[in-house]
Formats: sequence, C-alpha cells, structure tokens
Amino acid sequence: MSTLAFRMRARRRGGTTRPAWRQPLAVAGGVIAIAWLVVAIFAPFIAPHDPLAQTFTPAQSPSGAHLFGTDELGRDVLSRVIYGARVSVPIALLLVSLAALIGGLVGGLAGYFRGIVDGISMRTVDLVFAFPPIILAMVVAAVLGRGLRNAALAIVVVAWPSYARVVRGLVLSVGDTEYVESARLLGASARRTLFRDVLPNVAGPVFVLATLDLANAILLLSGLSFLGLGAQPPQAEWGSMVANGAQYFQWWWMGTFPGLAIFTAVLAFNFLGDSLRDFFDPQTSWGGDER
Amino acid sequence: MNRFRTRWGARAALAAVALVVAAVAASGAMTAPSAPTATLVIDRSFEIKTADPQRAFEPTAAIVDRGIYDTFFTYRGGDLAHPVPQLIQSWKASKDAKTFTFNLRRNVHFADGTRLTAADAVFSFRRLINLKGNPSFLLDGITVSARGKYTVVLRSKAPNAALPSILTNTSLGVVNSKLVRKHGGTSAVGADTKDKAEKWFNSSSSRGAGSGPYLLQRYSTTSQITLVPNPRYWGSKKAAFKTVVVRNMIAPTQLINIQRGSHEVAIDLSADQAQTIRGNKRVNVRTRPSTWTFWLFANNNPDVSSITPNKHFQAAVRYALDYKSIVSVAGPGAIQAPGIIPSMFLGALPRKDAIKQNLAKARTELAASGIGSRTITLEFPSDLTINGVPFASLAQRVQANLQAAGFHVDLGGATVGTWLQKYRDGKMAFGLSLWGPDYPDPLDYLAFMPGELVGVRAGWPAGSDPPIEKLAAKARITSKASARLTIYRQIQRRLNAVGPFFPLLQPTQVFVATKDLKNAVFNAQYQVDVTQVAPR
Repeated sequence: MSTLAFRMRARRRGGTTRPAWRQPLAVAGGVIAIAWLVVAIFAPFIAPHDPLAQTFTPAQSPSGAHLFGTDELGRDVLSRVIYGARVSVPIALLLVSLAALIGGLVGGLAGYFRGIVDGISMRTVDLVFAFPPIILAMVVAAVLGRGLRNAALAIVVVAWPSYARVVRGLVLSVGDTEYVESARLLGASARRTLFRDVLPNVAGPVFVLATLDLANAILLLSGLSFLGLGAQPPQAEWGSMVANGAQYFQWWWMGTFPGLAIFTAVLAFNFLGDSLRDFFDPQTSWGGDER
Repeated sequence: MNRFRTRWGARAALAAVALVVAAVAASGAMTAPSAPTATLVIDRSFEIKTADPQRAFEPTAAIVDRGIYDTFFTYRGGDLAHPVPQLIQSWKASKDAKTFTFNLRRNVHFADGTRLTAADAVFSFRRLINLKGNPSFLLDGITVSARGKYTVVLRSKAPNAALPSILTNTSLGVVNSKLVRKHGGTSAVGADTKDKAEKWFNSSSSRGAGSGPYLLQRYSTTSQITLVPNPRYWGSKKAAFKTVVVRNMIAPTQLINIQRGSHEVAIDLSADQAQTIRGNKRVNVRTRPSTWTFWLFANNNPDVSSITPNKHFQAAVRYALDYKSIVSVAGPGAIQAPGIIPSMFLGALPRKDAIKQNLAKARTELAASGIGSRTITLEFPSDLTINGVPFASLAQRVQANLQAAGFHVDLGGATVGTWLQKYRDGKMAFGLSLWGPDYPDPLDYLAFMPGELVGVRAGWPAGSDPPIEKLAAKARITSKASARLTIYRQIQRRLNAVGPFFPLLQPTQVFVATKDLKNAVFNAQYQVDVTQVAPR
C-alpha cells in the first residue's frame, strides 16, 4: 500500500533534484490529473449526451457519432465515462482528505503524547493493517450496505492508518528536536506545539502520501463498484461500467474505455505523487540510480 | 517314442488351451465396460440455495439433484410432453384422476446398497409436504400412502391430470429414508422445524441418500459443485463421466470457456453471445424459446408499501412500460410475454392480447393514484443473469420507461440470496422477478393466484379477487384440453387487468455444448440431464 512509498531507499545523486515541473513524468501526471479534474468539473458541458439517456441504438461500436460506442441499453459510453469522472475523482479527493485528517490527528496525538495513547493508537493501526485493504473495504461496505457513500466510508476505514503511522513517526522525530523541546520548556501548550512547530514539518510527506493515495482510492472505489458494493445502476461510475462491460465481452468498448479511464487516472496520480516526493524529500525516491 | 510324442502332444494341447484361455480373458478384458475418464463441465450462473431435494427448488439444484436422485418419472432429451417411468414399472390412474397407484421397480437400491421401497417414496413425498418449503406446493392437496412393499398410492383432493408431469421434478426425488432419519431428517408433521438433515444433504457424507448414477462430492453455492459416479448404481446406464463439475460462471466467461473447452456445456449465453460462436466448428449452438417469464410485481399488501397496492399505480405501471424496448434488452429471439404462461404451453395468450404501451393512459392513472413525487424502489437480483439477460440491465430499462412516464424510481440491487429471501418473505414492495415452470403444465401458473405461492409473496391473499379465484378453481378440475385453454386464457386476461403482476418477456434459450458430447440438449425441467449426457 501507500506506506510502501515511504520505505526509505538510500540514493546517491550527483547534483540537486530538478524541480518537479521539469520532470517528464511529473508533467505527464500533472497534465492528465488536471485534465480529469477539468472533465469532472465541466462534465455537463463536455459530455455529448445525457449519460443516462437510453435513446440510441444499443451496442454500437465506436464511430463518429459515438466515439466510445454505446452500451447494451443504448447509452453513450463516452458521456458515461466523462460523468464517471464526477464520481471517482471528487470522491477520491474527499475520502483521501478525510483519511489524512483522521490518520494525521491520531498519529499526531500518538507521537506527541506517546505512552498509552501511542500504544492504543498503534495497536489499532496494526489491527487494520492486518487485513488486506480490499478485503477489509469489502467487509465494511457489505456491513454498511451497498452504495457509493458507504463504499467511500469503507475506504476511509482502510486508508487512515497509513497516515497515522507516517505522522506518528514524523512527530516522534520532530518532537525530539531542540526547538520543540525549547517551546515546551517555555510553557507552550500541546495544541500550539503540534500545530505551530510540528505540523509544518509533517505536512509535506503527508501531502505526498495523499497524492499517491488518490490513485489507490480511485482504484479501490472502482473495485468496490466493480463488485457491486459501490455505485449502483444506473449511475455512471468507472468500476461499475467495467463490471457491466464484463457481461458483454463481445462488445469490447463497453468495458475497455472506462477501464482506460481508471488506468490513466491512477497512473497520473502515481506519477504526480512520485514527483512530489522527490520534490519534498530528495533523499527518498523509488529512483533507478541506486546501487 | 510314442510316450515322447504323447507327452509333447499333451504339453502342446495344454499350451493351446492356455493360449485360448488367455485370449478369451484378454478379449473379455477389452470388452468389459471401462471406467469413465472424462470430466463433464457445466457452466451455469448459479441459482441454488440447497441440494436437499425436498427443499431445493432452483434450476442449478435441478442439474445436481437429477444426477443424485431418481424420480418416479423423467423426461428424455428436450421433451417435456411425455413423462417416462424411471423408478416405477407400472402405474394407473383412476377415471376421476384423483387416485394414482404406482408399482415400483424391485431392483432399485440406493448408493449404500439399501433397497428402495415404497416406504422411502412415502417418506420423501411426506417430507416434501411437511417441510413446507418452496417445492411443497407440488403435492398440495395430495396424500401419500404405501400399499405393500413396492406400491405407492397418491390421492388428490381435486382431479390432477398433471401428476405424472409433477413427479418428474427433482424435488420429488426419492431419498433413503433410513439414512436421512439417521441424520436428523423427518417426514412427520412439523418437519419444517424439526428436520435437521439439510446440512448433511449438502455435504459429501450424504452419499447413500440417493439412487442416481452420481454422488455429491463437493458442494458450494458460490463456486462449484462436483459429482462423482455411484459405483453401485442399479440402472443399466452407468455414470458416463469420472467427474461432473457444475461451475458458477457468468455468461461472458461461459462464452470464453465453451470455445476452448472439451466436454463442456454453457447454459446462460445470450442470443447476442450465441451469434458470435455460430461459426465455431467445435460447438453446437441451439436456440429455442425459453420457458422463463420475466415479470414485475407491485405488492398488494398495504403493510409493505403505501404506494404499490394502489390500483391506479399498478395500472400506470402496466401502461407506462415500453414492452418493445424491454424485449430488446434480451436480444434476438426474445418475445414479449402476453401473459404469465409462456408461449409453448397450453393456455398461453396469443400475441394480440399482449399489453401495449399507452403513455397517456399511464400518466392519467399515475395522476389518479395520488402518489405525487414519492419515490418507489425497484428491487432486483443484481448478480443474476438468466438466458444471457442480466437483471441489472433489465431493471435499468424498466426504470427508464417508468421515469419517462413520470414515475420516480430508484433501483435497489441485491445479491440473489438476499433478494430471494425478501421476495419469498413477501416483504418486497416493487420487484423484478422471473418464473420457470416446475412442470410443463399451465396448472403450475396457478401459483400466481390470490392465496397461492407467488400471489402471497405479492401480498395477494386468498379472497382478494373472487372472479379470478373462481376461474382458478375451475381450472384445477378441468381436464379437457380445449376447455383448459379457454379457462387459462381467461385467467391471464383477468390477471393482466387487475393483478399485481406485469409480464414482461420470454428470453431466448441458448444451449451450447462441445461436439464431443452426445445427448447434450436443453431440458427446461433439468437444464441439462447429466444422467443422459455422454462423451462421444
């Protein structure tokens, strides 16, 4: 999962790290991610047709009239892919923010207060980490009931521990620095120390983790919808569109285009996250030049 | 010299005898029936809750139970008109079609060697009745008794000319009464709470429960069910396969599997999917009208919904549906169901009687219903595909039709298990469902009448509609074909006018089997009869 992204790798670099915007992968990731954000925001203006209108000839292959073809009910696949971005991208952003907030808070408190708070928090985190994310998300979604909202909640449940673990580690290391100890000796409150002295030092890595987690969130959300636990018909959502396309292999376009949408969005946020990590912390990277 | 000759002559004669004996033995070994080596794979979109024959009532269970249990009658090939004796050697019916006497074969024994007698048949039939499960209605109004060791007498309150057809159903498979009792089974009144044998039936330890050519080896309602040969099968036609695997596969995967597999059958392909493999030289593709009928229902019970019992609402639904567009979801070959009885059965309504969309009338009725902008949820089994028709696609088309007429409809998909339970409990307000015949006779469709199995599920208790109930009562005792045709048509016209059911479509039944199989044909009762299929 995303914590893997933070496994440190010793890396030797000959010179300084290039700014993120000058790295080709960062540019590609940024462009694609922004493109999907624009598509999500302006979907009603971009989509050629109503994504729910069953008004066209069913199962038409891609053509000038329907660039991505039509599905088994005569709906325009392109319009559904475009509207699907309105579900996947904003919900992924929202749930990653929520997971970062909850995980950050838990990790911050655990790292700052240590002792029993740390013990309870980290054992809870261990408990969540003990299950594969998709399995746990499926269980939570199945218990809460089908639907997009519950699927998003299920993803938050499996995503927050990564942030708690990362933030705790950072707070532990920052908490031992002289300037933080000085502030505490001068009588600064825990809230002030956490927000003024510690937070700025942990924000960068959390932001990078969140960017990488966006990709995971999109994938997980699509996965739950694919399994029928997320978006419900007739809502246009990439995962459920792929699942529907899998019912009609003979009409390849029905599942291929939403699948490509998932692929590009996930790839873009991964590129972006990697590049941001290089930018925030040149000492860590997946890089290819380690020895 | 002579002694020498004689000794050598004797040795030569002995050698010749030995050679002849060896040759005979060898030829004997070559002509003895060899053990089956092939595996039959049947891909099916699973619809099964149990393999306990007296509890099971789903199509996938019929495939499995056909192999394990024998019935009084069976069908050959795809025929549904001529029940063929299986466990019985002779039978007779009284003139009033109320008393049926069956003489059992004397040479039948279960897989554990126990002889099958009238006591086993009586136990099985009474257990079916007293379990009060889904198939219990098959013997409604029938009492079962044994006369001697090998004679079974069935007495029906009303004339029941359909009884031989009913006795082909695998729910009436005869089980080993001693063994079942030993594992918690009972046929006594109260079996619905006291019978504890279901778990045992669903395990490989139930070997010995049936007398069919196969035994249950592995059972899962989600992945696959495996059958293996019954080495002590009493019949002449032994198990032809080393293993029969019934796999839970969605239709698209069936399409891929059948093209690359051997000794394989695919049952759920859609008409569209079948078109793509018509030219494949390795498979036989057969299409015929399906006996399934897809329909909607609006629950008449005011405790379940304040919207659906409204007769104006029901009329609005009836006329809002664009039946042509609904039928198109099922692909080429599908037809609109004019009534609840499918087109190939006696009493089916002619096409001209089918309800036609009338949006103006639908809107008027909807306004008269007074439900305003209240939303109704259409429930359906989201993971179920029948004859290549995914319920999810059909539900979306129905929703679009109703919304176009001014309804506010949400879709509520659920797994087939969850959906079935709610539907069977009669707690579903507005549902998309289907019905496949339990036996090929219109009598089976009286289940839709008030107070009957499906009627009750749709909140339509006895006494809800006296005219239709009077017709149903008459249908039960009428045996003349022409009179039955008239009555069943009257029933369906009335059902279409005031009933809570809205017949939608009959899909196309596609049956694909690899060419290395013989006798692999679709049978609406058993899907595919594993006891008849064999490798070429």
